[in-house]
Amino acid sequence: MVDSTAADEPAGGSLAVRRRLDRGDPSTFPEWFNTRKPRANLIVARWVPLALVGLPVLVLFCIVVYPTVWMFYHALHDTNMMRLFQSNWSFVGLENFQTVLSSERFGDSIVHLGIYLTFGAVLQVLLGAMLALILYELVKNNFLRVVLLIAMVLPMMLPPSIVGVLWKFLLTPSNGAVNQALLNLGLIDQHIEWFNAGMSLWAIIIADVWNWTALPLLIVYSGRVSLPPAVYEAARVDGAGAWTTLRRITLPMLKEVIAIAFIVRFMDAFKFVDLVFIMTSGGPAQSSELPAYIAFQRGIREFAIGEAAAYAIVIFIASAVLITLFLKYLKKVLKAQGFA
Amino acid sequence: MARLEIEGLCKGWDFPVIDRLDLTVEEGEFFVVVGPSGIGKTTLLRLVAGLERPDAGTIRVGERDLTGLPPYRRRVAMTFESYALYPHLSVFENIASPLRARGMAKAKIDETVMGVAKLLRIEQLLNRRPGEISGGQKQRTALGRTLVAEPDVFLLDEPISHLDAKIRHELRLQFHTLEALRSVATLYVTHDYAEALSLGDRIGVMGEGGLLQVGTAREIFQRPQHLFVAKHLGQPSINVVEASLGMQGDALHFAAEGAGLALPVAGPHSATLAGRDAGRITVGIRPQHVQVVKDGQTTNGSAVVEARVEMYEALGATGILVAESGGVRLMALTPPDAIFQHGEPVRLALRSEAFLYFDADSGRNVMVD
Amino acid sequence: MSKSNYGLVKLLFLTFMGLWLLITLFPFYWQIITALKSAAETNRTIPTFWPEVMHPENFIAVFAEASNFNALVDSFIIATGNTLASLFLGTLAGYAFARFPRQAGGENMAFWVLSNRMFPPVAVVLPMFFLFDATPWGTDSHITLIILYLVFNMPLATWLMMVFFRDAPRELEEAAYLDGYTPLRAFFKVTLPLVLPGMISVAMLCWIFAWNEYLFANLLVGSNVRTFTIVIPTFTHGSQSLWNLQMAFSLIAMLPPVILFILLRRYMVRGLSLGVVKG
Repeated sequence: MVDSTAADEPAGGSLAVRRRLDRGDPSTFPEWFNTRKPRANLIVARWVPLALVGLPVLVLFCIVVYPTVWMFYHALHDTNMMRLFQSNWSFVGLENFQTVLSSERFGDSIVHLGIYLTFGAVLQVLLGAMLALILYELVKNNFLRVVLLIAMVLPMMLPPSIVGVLWKFLLTPSNGAVNQALLNLGLIDQHIEWFNAGMSLWAIIIADVWNWTALPLLIVYSGRVSLPPAVYEAARVDGAGAWTTLRRITLPMLKEVIAIAFIVRFMDAFKFVDLVFIMTSGGPAQSSELPAYIAFQRGIREFAIGEAAAYAIVIFIASAVLITLFLKYLKKVLKAQGFA
Repeated sequence: MARLEIEGLCKGWDFPVIDRLDLTVEEGEFFVVVGPSGIGKTTLLRLVAGLERPDAGTIRVGERDLTGLPPYRRRVAMTFESYALYPHLSVFENIASPLRARGMAKAKIDETVMGVAKLLRIEQLLNRRPGEISGGQKQRTALGRTLVAEPDVFLLDEPISHLDAKIRHELRLQFHTLEALRSVATLYVTHDYAEALSLGDRIGVMGEGGLLQVGTAREIFQRPQHLFVAKHLGQPSINVVEASLGMQGDALHFAAEGAGLALPVAGPHSATLAGRDAGRITVGIRPQHVQVVKDGQTTNGSAVVEARVEMYEALGATGILVAESGGVRLMALTPPDAIFQHGEPVRLALRSEAFLYFDADSGRNVMVD
Repeated sequence: MSKSNYGLVKLLFLTFMGLWLLITLFPFYWQIITALKSAAETNRTIPTFWPEVMHPENFIAVFAEASNFNALVDSFIIATGNTLASLFLGTLAGYAFARFPRQAGGENMAFWVLSNRMFPPVAVVLPMFFLFDATPWGTDSHITLIILYLVFNMPLATWLMMVFFRDAPRELEEAAYLDGYTPLRAFFKVTLPLVLPGMISVAMLCWIFAWNEYLFANLLVGSNVRTFTIVIPTFTHGSQSLWNLQMAFSLIAMLPPVILFILLRRYMVRGLSLGVVKG
């Protein structure tokens, strides 16, 4: 097409006779384009990406997928410790699920979970979001702000076992600091029995709120920091008051960030079990048991493996639904950020 | 012998971007590809560099077939539009990078880098990081990195378009004088036609997935073979009039479609155009060939039309007049001292022998066929 | 809203925050003063809000029992081992997802890897218990936890490294190819130095999570290997309540994560919100 030997160039240069090519109009696409095999555009060999991903995925398969399959399998069998070692279990269909779902223990634990979600997870997000905004909007000294933030977020960094022990100690009914402080302030006139049947779940929730309010606080605070100041200047020029700015600008723009904080805490709630182990062991009389705790208890302490597996599967399915929803949402948010 | 030969190059993603492109750049030639942004210029460079794989076609340098080679074995150097300097390394280390890749001895590296730095006048910056130097200095550093590599082919992607005018001019001069660039095949990509015209030994105008016209600056400017080429080269851009041909008396005229403007076709053009009478035609009139005439001024070989001023931009060295005549908007280049008022009537002289005629459908210059 | 009214509301909110701050810090205060009390003083019927006699030697007395020190060592070995493994695997996969998304299994694969972070441990621990039981080293060893903590740390490392690799311009790598570096050398020459700060923060984050972990440790190890997280709740066992030593020990054990957190605040947000909030 182009003859480009400089010597015998015709006057006016060489002319390429080109067909029209309109990117929006497939009828102008050349033949080769429609028949080509789209090629991977790689500088490295084709196997390299697969090899890079292969090892981590293999590891995840061994430590996550294999156990899940194992759980599904045994949830359908009458496996217990003895039968497991004798390799002598038999298929029982959905019997384990029936046992689990119809048991009072499970029903109670679901109620506990509901209470924990409402007064734990939800309260944490509301408190955290509020504190984050108070801190950002009302404390104007930068250094003070950072110091306060670190102070309020500190509990999150503690190992759960320390949180559990610390609060067990603080809430000790007879000579705990909390009861003594409340007595001194005149808020109560006798010790609260924090670890009695009606109260132990609340003791766990108190410790958990202390522990984890920091996470939504930190997330919302960082979200607020990264909002563009230009928007706020514009609002000020328009004469919008503090409330209007909060309602019309800050909250709508932080919607996604608050949602993320929510979902993260919600998913953790299904896994949540550490403080139950340390503070109450589910007691007294199973009054502070959560589903995940029962699964551990039945499986590892009581060796009713089939039943424990059924518990785990129920939790697994609930989490899987939540995780899927979360990931969908995350994908959307990340896409909006021009990310994924 | 290292001429760059590209043959039948094809590349597309969701749509074809480069379609059967052929190009030869001789050893020592400075070839500039010019075209509007998004037309596939950078893709062309990336294909030559090996950063993308072509769907079809071959790329050869001298006797070596590069098509299947990875970029690190091509002996091709490229500057990126974003400069792509390593932010964690000093200017020295950035320039030395290709030499380190080859495992050159330390003393030799120092010597080579110093030499190039001196040439580009950045020797006082060698210890700084890319974040601490200006855009022009970054570009010099990027250039230095390609120069030390002594490649068979240089690829330069919009190397000066993000710099301010003064540095741009300085670097443009530098491209003219750099011996290294002038001794191997260089492929230079830009969207700026002035840059292309001033730098290129030859210029290729890119469009429709390939090169629409290849030639020297003068050839391309004066005899654009395609309306696309004519539109893209020249500032202010060419006046385009959709018209139809017809006889008025015994002379061939064209009349602007849906407007009152009619102009004669110059004698030398009539012969070619005569066969097309009553046919549709696209006329290109460069603003340089539209002149404002005062009353009584002679207008040798020009057609004079009455017009009304719509807008005037005084640009210092020249002025750009936008005037409307018979429903057609025409741009004219004026001397710097002119002053016009909005709505003021003016007389425009159009040099009809400099008009360009393009086929209304294919956009090709009918005078060249 | 009038000016004075606004000032009042402001004051109200600040008081609320002050109150919360008090609630947040009081347990730390209690932890510290208890650690300085004598054992007898901690067991009084009416607790004291300031130690009568300071006993800073509690912090040393904790280590009179060698097992306490060993617990910190065990935790350190496990956290560090797991961090290295997570970082290695996470860097491999994160790089692949960032640079060759389609060839590495696409977006869905990346999200699947991430989903494992949120996986309920209850579905994992039981089978792993029996799986590790069948290995020559049994469940009660460092390696068990090093591997098991990958369940939550590796997806995190993968995801965050992917985010960091995406932030490192691909063009720099391409420039390195043109300089003559092979992809492997280009990675070490250009990409790795660029993501190194991010990588260090990922390492610290993983390390904190592994250091703090309680559940798996509680269920799977306990006699040969004891992490401090499972040692701390057992302090009260036996004839005597050793609140003071327990608090002293927990103060020591929580120091590393707290310090790392203060250093890493900004990355922490990114890690905990999975890259959504930049921090």
